[in-house]
Formats: sequence, C-alpha cells, structure tokens
Amino acid sequence: MEVDPITYFYTVLLLSMAVNLGISLYGIFYRPSLIKKIISLTIFSDTANTFAIMIGYIRWRTPTKPPKPPVLTNLNATENVLREFASTAVDPLPQALVLTAIVIGLAVTLFLVFLTLQAYRLYGTTDVREIAKLRG
Amino acid sequence: MAGRIIGVLVITLFIAVFSLVVAMGGLGYMLPPENVRELARQYLLIAYNPSNRTFTVFSPEVVTSIVWDFRGLDTLFETMVFYLAIIGSVALARGIKPSKPEKDISKYGLSPIVKTVTRITVGMILAIAASIALHGHLTPGGGFQGGATAAVVPLLILVIFSRYYLEAHGVRKNVMLAIRSFGLLGIGLTAFIVLIIGFMRGTHAYVFQNQPKPDAPVGLPAMVNGQLFSGTLWFFNLFEMFAVAAGFTIVFLLLSIPERDVLKYLKEEGGEY
Repeated sequence: MEVDPITYFYTVLLLSMAVNLGISLYGIFYRPSLIKKIISLTIFSDTANTFAIMIGYIRWRTPTKPPKPPVLTNLNATENVLREFASTAVDPLPQALVLTAIVIGLAVTLFLVFLTLQAYRLYGTTDVREIAKLRG
Repeated sequence: MAGRIIGVLVITLFIAVFSLVVAMGGLGYMLPPENVRELARQYLLIAYNPSNRTFTVFSPEVVTSIVWDFRGLDTLFETMVFYLAIIGSVALARGIKPSKPEKDISKYGLSPIVKTVTRITVGMILAIAASIALHGHLTPGGGFQGGATAAVVPLLILVIFSRYYLEAHGVRKNVMLAIRSFGLLGIGLTAFIVLIIGFMRGTHAYVFQNQPKPDAPVGLPAMVNGQLFSGTLWFFNLFEMFAVAAGFTIVFLLLSIPERDVLKYLKEEGGEY
C-alpha cells in the first residue's frame, strides 16, 4: 500500500497533539505550583488552537499546488474566479475563531499571572496546597 | 496516591476517546479533506462578490469578514471577555501607588547601544502595527493582531528604558484606560452606526449591519474614492487596535510596579491578612 506523505504527517501531528493534551491536563490538575498551572493552561489552549486550524486545512491537489490562504487577490473577480478561489482556499472559519482566542488568551493569561504575583506577595508561596491551608 | 492514579487514568481515557473520535471519522473520513465544508464554501464565495449584493461584505479578506460581519456578535462578546480580564487586573492593583524615580530617568535602563537601537525599531514596530490593523480588510491582519503588535512597543520600552521613562512620556495607567475606553466606545458606536443612519433616514436597519440588505436599504459605503473600506470593517479594526494595545499596556504597567511599592501597600492596608 502506498503511503501518502500528507496523511502520514497529519497522523504524526494528531498524535503529538493528543500527547500534548495529556501532558497539559496533567500539569493543570497535578502540579501544585500556580505558575506551572498557567504554563500548562497556555500549552492546552495552543494545542486547541492548532487543532482548530488543522481541521480547516485541505488536501494538496498535486505536490506542486498547495491550498491557498482565504484572501481573494483579484478585486475584479468573475463568477469562475470566485468558484476557483472557493475550491482552493482553506477554511477561514477556524482561523477567525483562533485569531480572537489568541488575543483573549493572552489577556486572561496576563490576568492570571498578575493574580498569582499578588498571591505570592501576600502569602509568600504559589503552592496551592499551602494557600488552601490559609484561613481568613 | 490513589487519587493521583485515578486522575492519570482519567486523563489517559480522555486522550484515548479523543483519538478514537478522530480515528472513527469524527472530523470526516479523509484528513485533510479534499474540499472545505459547505459553510466555509459559502463564506469564501460571498465575502467579496459584487453580483451577490444581499450577503456580500465587500472585503477580499474572508477571515476579517467573518470576524466583524458574519459572526460579529461573537467578536463583540470576545472583546467583552478581553475588557473583563483587563478590568480584573486593574481591580487587583487598586490602591497601589507607584513611587517617584529616585534619580534622573535617563540613568535607568540598559546601555546606550540598546537604547539607540530600540529608538529606531520602536517607530518601525508602530508603523507595521498600524499597517496590519488598517489593512485588515484587504490582507491578513486586523485590529487584534495590530493591537497586539503595537503593545510590544511599551513592553520594549519598559524593559530597555524603565517604567519611569514610559510614565514621563505620557504612557500612564489612566491615559491608557482612557484610550482603551475610547476604542471600546468606538466599537460600540460602529455596531450601532447603521441603525442610527436607518433611524435618521426613516428606514429599517439592524444592529451590526454593514452593507445594505433587501429589507434594510442603508449601510456604510464599501468604497470611498475608489479605495476599498468594506463599510464598518475598517472602523472596527481601527478601534479594536486602540482597545487591545492600550489594554495590554495597562497590564504591563501594573506588572512592572516595583516590588517594594506593592509590599509597602500590602503592609499598610493588608493588616488583616
């Protein structure tokens, strides 16, 4: 059976993504340090973003004809040009969702980092087990 | 110990189910697929299509069309999440008063070589950020990306010059809050502008409308003097750039407050901890 290189690399990508998800979930649930939880959370969201982008990708027509980005370059496009564009461009919807997710993720990460920093200044630790023991 | 073993098992199971869903064709039987899905095909066909006046956005950049027109309400709520994250950081830092510089502000920071190179690159970064944001309806980019690029400039200055240098040149928390509010206000206004035009003309119109629709025959012009503006998209990108850049700058400024100022505040006010 002939091995299609694109399918092969896609499989490798999916596999590494599953491993990444497992590692980041372990980090979020089981590392006691808040900083390590935040790092795992960013790995998790980046994996999810890569997954969304990957879903929107399409197969190469021939080895020399890769799919195109979803940007129309001809403003005087006729119906045929548009049809050709729609058949060669990748899916724009996951890209639109990921684009906002990245910026929101950065803002939320900054907020969490600041929260952790303040917790460290107040309690002198970022270990959740220590923080959970504090009363008041 | 038993809890940890159960947890690892649950995570392994999650990964196994995820892999099974992919393997059983949960994303289609052929990966990557030969053609895009039907919804994406429709988006690609109508984003810039002068012969389909009912649905077109007049923007050759399909991603921006989706972000600010087809699924504009999604983006509005994502902007709200962004707003809340920044406001949360500001609320955490309430009451902390940063100290005044103890020596001449030019004495702070890294060596003159680094400072000179930064002075040159800062202008270029701002130019590129403006280009990314204002051409968002034509080429890949938009307000989010342009704003994130522009936010690199205060971060660079914070590290290479100092926090005091940035504040002496007008980049203060309250100024940035005002710019961010201006950006958010602009986004809100742009969402309602076609509705307002509709009221004034006495016709029917929608919130978040861009181009004229059959039952709402008003909209912003797609072209001005032969330049493609794509109606509301250009304004959304512009205001989003201000909101994102100023929002990130606020958090960078808060994170860079010297440790001793914060500790002083926490010792004075936080006695009950």
